Amino acid sequence: MNANNDILQVESLTKTYGRGENQTEALKGISFRVLEGEFLGIMGASGSGKTTLLNCIATMLKPTSGKILLRGQDISGFRGGKLADYRGREIGYLFQEFELLDNLTARENIMLPLALHGITEKQAKSRIQAAASLLDIVPVLDKFPSQMSGGQKQRAAAARALISDPDILLADEPTGALDSRNSRILLDKLTTINRTQNKTIMMVTHDANAASCCSRILFIQDGQLFHELRRNPEHESAAEFYERIVTVMAQLGGGSANVL
Amino acid sequence: MFFKQIRRSAARNRKGNGLFFGSLVTAIIAFYTLLSLGRQDVVQFLNTIESDAVRKLMQMLPVVYAVSLFFVFFLVYFACRYQTDSRRRELGLYLMLGMKRSRLFGMLFCETLWSSMVSLLIGLPAALFLTEGISLATAKLTGLGIIGHRFSFSPGAFLWTVCGFVLVQLFSMLIICISLGRTEPVDFFRSGEIRKQAVPSAGKSTLFFGAGLALLLTAYGLGLFRLRTLELAVPPAILLCGITGTFLLYRGLGGFLGLFIRQKAPDAAGLSTFTARQVQENVLSQNKALAVSSLLLMTALACISFGIAMGMARSTASRSVDFSLFGEDAQIDAVLAQEEIQKMTGESYPLYLSMIKDGYFADQEHAFDIGELKEALSRIEGTEPIIESLHIDYVIAESSYNRILTGLGRKTLHLSGGEAALYSSTASDGDFGTAVQQALKENISIGIDGTAHALLPVLYCDNVVADRAITLSLGLIVPDELYPQLAREEEPYCRNVRLSDDVTEKSGLMQAVREADALFAASGIEYDSYLGGIGRNLFYTVAASYLTIYLGVLFGLIANTVIGMKYLIGQRRTRHRYETLAMLGADLPSMRRSVKKQIDLYFLLVLIPALASGTAAVFSMFTSFAKLPMGVSPVTTILLSIAALIVFAGLETLYICIVKRTACREISRLASADRR
Repeated sequence: MNANNDILQVESLTKTYGRGENQTEALKGISFRVLEGEFLGIMGASGSGKTTLLNCIATMLKPTSGKILLRGQDISGFRGGKLADYRGREIGYLFQEFELLDNLTARENIMLPLALHGITEKQAKSRIQAAASLLDIVPVLDKFPSQMSGGQKQRAAAARALISDPDILLADEPTGALDSRNSRILLDKLTTINRTQNKTIMMVTHDANAASCCSRILFIQDGQLFHELRRNPEHESAAEFYERIVTVMAQLGGGSANVL
Repeated sequence: MFFKQIRRSAARNRKGNGLFFGSLVTAIIAFYTLLSLGRQDVVQFLNTIESDAVRKLMQMLPVVYAVSLFFVFFLVYFACRYQTDSRRRELGLYLMLGMKRSRLFGMLFCETLWSSMVSLLIGLPAALFLTEGISLATAKLTGLGIIGHRFSFSPGAFLWTVCGFVLVQLFSMLIICISLGRTEPVDFFRSGEIRKQAVPSAGKSTLFFGAGLALLLTAYGLGLFRLRTLELAVPPAILLCGITGTFLLYRGLGGFLGLFIRQKAPDAAGLSTFTARQVQENVLSQNKALAVSSLLLMTALACISFGIAMGMARSTASRSVDFSLFGEDAQIDAVLAQEEIQKMTGESYPLYLSMIKDGYFADQEHAFDIGELKEALSRIEGTEPIIESLHIDYVIAESSYNRILTGLGRKTLHLSGGEAALYSSTASDGDFGTAVQQALKENISIGIDGTAHALLPVLYCDNVVADRAITLSLGLIVPDELYPQLAREEEPYCRNVRLSDDVTEKSGLMQAVREADALFAASGIEYDSYLGGIGRNLFYTVAASYLTIYLGVLFGLIANTVIGMKYLIGQRRTRHRYETLAMLGADLPSMRRSVKKQIDLYFLLVLIPALASGTAAVFSMFTSFAKLPMGVSPVTTILLSIAALIVFAGLETLYICIVKRTACREISRLASADRR
């Protein structure tokens, strides 16, 4: 992990929904940086603004104010081809519900981001094979999503998110629709990819177990940064990190003070 | 509040679905036009001279109306489903807010009724305007004259249109409400049911596709080569092969497309694989609807072509004689000298037409030698029955026939001593005229009393008397000098009379013939009138052309709306895919291009088999039971068919454009939601 390079900078980001009296501030001037090769977790209670934050970075939502810089470039000004390029090449997005196109085979789904940028399956054959091998989905490459298990679907979605070698992988509750076994398999795969390929991953989750795979966790409450946890991989096991996460989560919920 | 909500929702439905609304209004216009047929000037006129035929036609109308309603039901059903599908969340919300299902369905029914009312308010005046226009135009074209035209409103047609239309709408909504009644509230909040991608086996698909193609080709072959034999088993066999073939073709097409996509995928870039898979999915899940639409479009094409050709064929039947008077010369002269009749009539002339003398009939002593004609005919395929029954029993004097040709404004005959010409008034029946015409081109001659007479290379077939019911299978036009030698009767057969051009131009041919007919009837003379000819001519034009074109347009309308609706329903159901595509980096123009391409391909997949089958059907018809009469120029008919095809292509393009616009609007909405 190269701790000197910022890959993503979020500066004073705000997002307001509604107008006038109905205004709701989902993000209230959040600022943070993501380093290259980092596995960053975003945690918070429902309605805290974590998914809004991820969606702003993914350009699914337009921020009200503030800046998002990916490798120093302000993404809020992206339009048309530049925006499509950003979505297809510079970020990879892993959805909670996989969002595989159910009328395309796994291979065709994985190919989509490349095909959108003019690369043919023939040219990308080795890349598809490598991604599929890494994520254990070679046997289902020519199957449709309806013929695959939930875990296979999410791993195929991960292969699709990673195929164009994006700068950062954004994952929105990627284990949310999976059972514990498949969740574990996916998290192991993501951890391997993060460690072996130095791929930056930013994952929104409310699952402490999933978050324990991260190297750093930002806790958000009411649209603001509430706390930050860093894991020391040399001295701290995943189980110990998990304990710390659970403690912060309890505080996030107001601790015993909020218990009636 | 409740009614305000209903009005608002109905207006939103109309705005959001112009394609469907337009189709509904057109269906109303078509219904009223069909049902008010009896009130049209031309039919009212026909009723006075061909009342039996008109009565039969009127008896057929309810059947045609019921068939139309049946097909319009599908149009309405798909459109209503599209509209309720797009409002699932809203409906679910009403339920979760405590609205009873009965009240919800009541609301949907009221919206349907309100929409029906608006459609009727637009459609009925338009229908009245159109029927008046048709009535006036037909009257003008047929020479009926527009002097006696009165605005006609048919309360019966109005009532049946309203009832049928509203019933179909309510029945469609009832079926939809039954399915909604079984839906759990949570399912209303899901973005429509997503069908699991069916994975057809390559072998099965190829088998279905191949079998479908083979059956279709069999149907084409039977139609083109066997239908003319008029064997009873052939038409059902064609229908069975054609319909089964079309269904099997679409059943296998999805899997077949899958093979093609897999083959092309390694070299595909952009959204081409996605586009092709979208089309494949539509074909897989809607193969039956596509087959029905394709068959409907084929029927539409065949109906329109048949209608135009029949209309053409009948309207080209030329007017050579208006009245044929029978009786002594003096009696005829006296009638023609009457002041009122004299004012109306133009030229008159005796027609020398007679049966041949005894001894000249076939197998008799002086029988005509028609060996060369028979030999020439024998070289033409399938003429055995014609040769067997070939005999000449009538003679016509050249000068009489020339008067007819002069009346028609055509070149007269100049037969020299050794020449004759063949005449037939039944040339348009079956293959007879065409075969004889072809044989005559071989410069053949006929032997009369041992002398060879060269036959002119043309078969003449203009009406020689006013009443077309009189038919002469085969006659001989001979120089006047030869006529007394061959004719049994030397006296003229009748006196032909044409009305004066001034009179026909002034009050229209039909009106003028009617007036003159009354005068001749009053004079007590025996006569035949062109009126009967006009009646039959008009009746066939109205019955054959009008009904078939009506059905053709209606079928085309329904098929196109069903295809369009099916696509749009599918697109809405798979809306989330476009959101995913946008997230994966697909820009708006490329998604719009993909959608447009999908629509083009989707329509083409229906249109190509429909066009192929339609062409085969039209050719089969015109080479068998609906053979074009000899007088009809094939060039004109082909030109008209091409014109009909261009209009058809224009309508298709219009539909495709409307569907594309609606689909692209959905995609744009998605993009704006995307960047809220």
